[in-house]
Amino acid sequence: MGHGKYIAPPKGQYQVGAGQRLELQFVVLPGESRDIEVTVDLTGPGAEVDLRGLYLCHADEQVRFHIVMHHMAPGCRSRQRFCGVAGGRADVRFEGTIVVAPDAQQTEAYQENHNILLSEEARAESRPQLEIYADDVKCSHGATVGRLDEEARFYMRCRGIPDREARTLQILSFLSAVTPPERAEEVERAVRNL
Amino acid sequence: MDDILKDVTSAAYKEGFVTDIRQEFVPKGLNEEVIRTISALKREPQWLLDFRLDAFRRWQKMPAPSWGHLDLPEIDYQDIIYYAAPKKDADRPKEIDPELARTFEKLGIPLHEREALAGVVAVDAVFDSVSVATTFRKSLAEKGIIFCSFSEAVREHGDLVRKYLASVVPAGDNFFAALNSAVFSDGSFVYVPKGVRCPMDLSSYFRINAAGTGQFERTLIIADEGATLSYMEGCTAPMRDENQLHAAVVEIIALKDADVKYSTVQNWYPGDAEGRGGILNLVTKRGICHEGAHLSWTQVETGSAITWKYPSTILKGDESSSEFYSVAVTARRQQADTGTKMIHIGRGTRSRIVSKGISAGHSQNSYRGLVRMMPGAVGARNFSQCDSLLIGSRCGAHTFPDIRSANPTAVVEHEATTSKISEDQLFYLGQRGIAPEDAVGLIVGGYAREVLSKLPMEFAVEAQKLLSVTLEGSIG
Repeated sequence: MGHGKYIAPPKGQYQVGAGQRLELQFVVLPGESRDIEVTVDLTGPGAEVDLRGLYLCHADEQVRFHIVMHHMAPGCRSRQRFCGVAGGRADVRFEGTIVVAPDAQQTEAYQENHNILLSEEARAESRPQLEIYADDVKCSHGATVGRLDEEARFYMRCRGIPDREARTLQILSFLSAVTPPERAEEVERAVRNL
Repeated sequence: MDDILKDVTSAAYKEGFVTDIRQEFVPKGLNEEVIRTISALKREPQWLLDFRLDAFRRWQKMPAPSWGHLDLPEIDYQDIIYYAAPKKDADRPKEIDPELARTFEKLGIPLHEREALAGVVAVDAVFDSVSVATTFRKSLAEKGIIFCSFSEAVREHGDLVRKYLASVVPAGDNFFAALNSAVFSDGSFVYVPKGVRCPMDLSSYFRINAAGTGQFERTLIIADEGATLSYMEGCTAPMRDENQLHAAVVEIIALKDADVKYSTVQNWYPGDAEGRGGILNLVTKRGICHEGAHLSWTQVETGSAITWKYPSTILKGDESSSEFYSVAVTARRQQADTGTKMIHIGRGTRSRIVSKGISAGHSQNSYRGLVRMMPGAVGARNFSQCDSLLIGSRCGAHTFPDIRSANPTAVVEHEATTSKISEDQLFYLGQRGIAPEDAVGLIVGGYAREVLSKLPMEFAVEAQKLLSVTLEGSIG
């Protein structure tokens, strides 16, 4: 696989060799139940991977991510960012593993998963995992499940922004880092209809 | 650097001496007869025997768990002696065997009250399966505090034990908890009455001595409404080249507005450099917090060949809170899979997790944690921070958090990092004339400081020492 950019790929197994770069973007819009399984092997020195995922659920969707990022060669970098919003009775689960093999020194691997629950019956689970067998590495992950910031909304409402618009702006900014520019309008429409 | 790494993996185990005293054993193996014998030896009431037998029957139907990131050796449960007690010298039934007293002295436990006065701690020392001495009992009794061995509590405070036993960890909770419920030998029992602040830190000290014995400690701590207590537990075991099993159960009940602090320094024998022998530390610890109660777990884990331990809190009452602070150090071929569970049930519950893993040598060190927000956990909050430090290129550090939220007003945050001691840090300290070993000590000390500072003072000193011994000269 060469230098490439893929939008919302199917389940898949990817190999990224020396000096290559892989970018994957996932967009799951309301009404879609998806089960996304992706395994990426970084097999050559200097390989780089960037994964971004966005999911919006408002009814009874089930969204699952299973990501395995396998650093098999030294000096590779990977970054994963997954952000999602769940309303209605939606059930979202993220499971992502970073494995750093014993000789994959100078690895940099980052992983983030952030979720916002909008309703009483929505459920979110997050399982970010690190399995590290080399010492000269920089790896981190972060995961959150929470709600929209009341204070930020209050701030906007004080300045005359209607509640609904304030909420839309909050969600859009929460998702901005993982929204592909070419699909920004589509995402915004979906957020307004949440 | 390789030489120094070798030092880490070969640092001698100081507590590895065997005490030569006569002991009483129950024959090897596990069956209903053995359980009946243990129960009879301890002169237990019928309900407790029934409890044991029920647990045993459940255990027989359970498979051993295999989900840990551990290479657990096959355990032959029929090849273990389930009960060993130091034989009492008939002439001096009230006294502690001088040999035994010397063992505790070597370990630095202030067993005699006049020695204890210096440290002002009450010690419940458990030698293999029976609790040999409980100090300071009288002064505690004046405040209505009960601090005694578990067997004694069964005899003298049967109602309390019966009411709370297995109320947090049911007999069939998991494989090792069921095993413990069937064969548990002794442990500590604490009850602090309503509104009483326990005037001193309570402490138990466990030590596995007899060859081929398992230790099945059972501890029950009850803090009544508004009570406050701090409990410390320390563990060591002699050197042997076989694996020894330690399957303990600790239950903590914090009633309305109670405040409990539970601290552990675990220094069981970790096995030799090739991974032979060592303690298999398979422990279930769990507490329940009622309304407004607070439970704080602090652990420093430096020993054991295998550690499988997840001190957990059920935040049942509204506005209850819990904390988990952990430093887990693995060297040689040690394996640790440890962490916590925070189950938020009540409104406005709070929890905080700070875990610091340090792996060196050929060891594997995992953090595994669950944070669960139940539908009723309105406005609940959790923050978790898990850091791993790698020393040497042959070890592993792993993080397996599990976050589940079923409430839109609950907030859960988790973050984890993995790194090694950077060359820059070492260079900086080296430039200032600090030897590499001391530099590592400083960096590791700073790294673990947030957790060590939560320990009761005299434990903090011991823990600091343990850290530096375990990691002696761990980098070049």
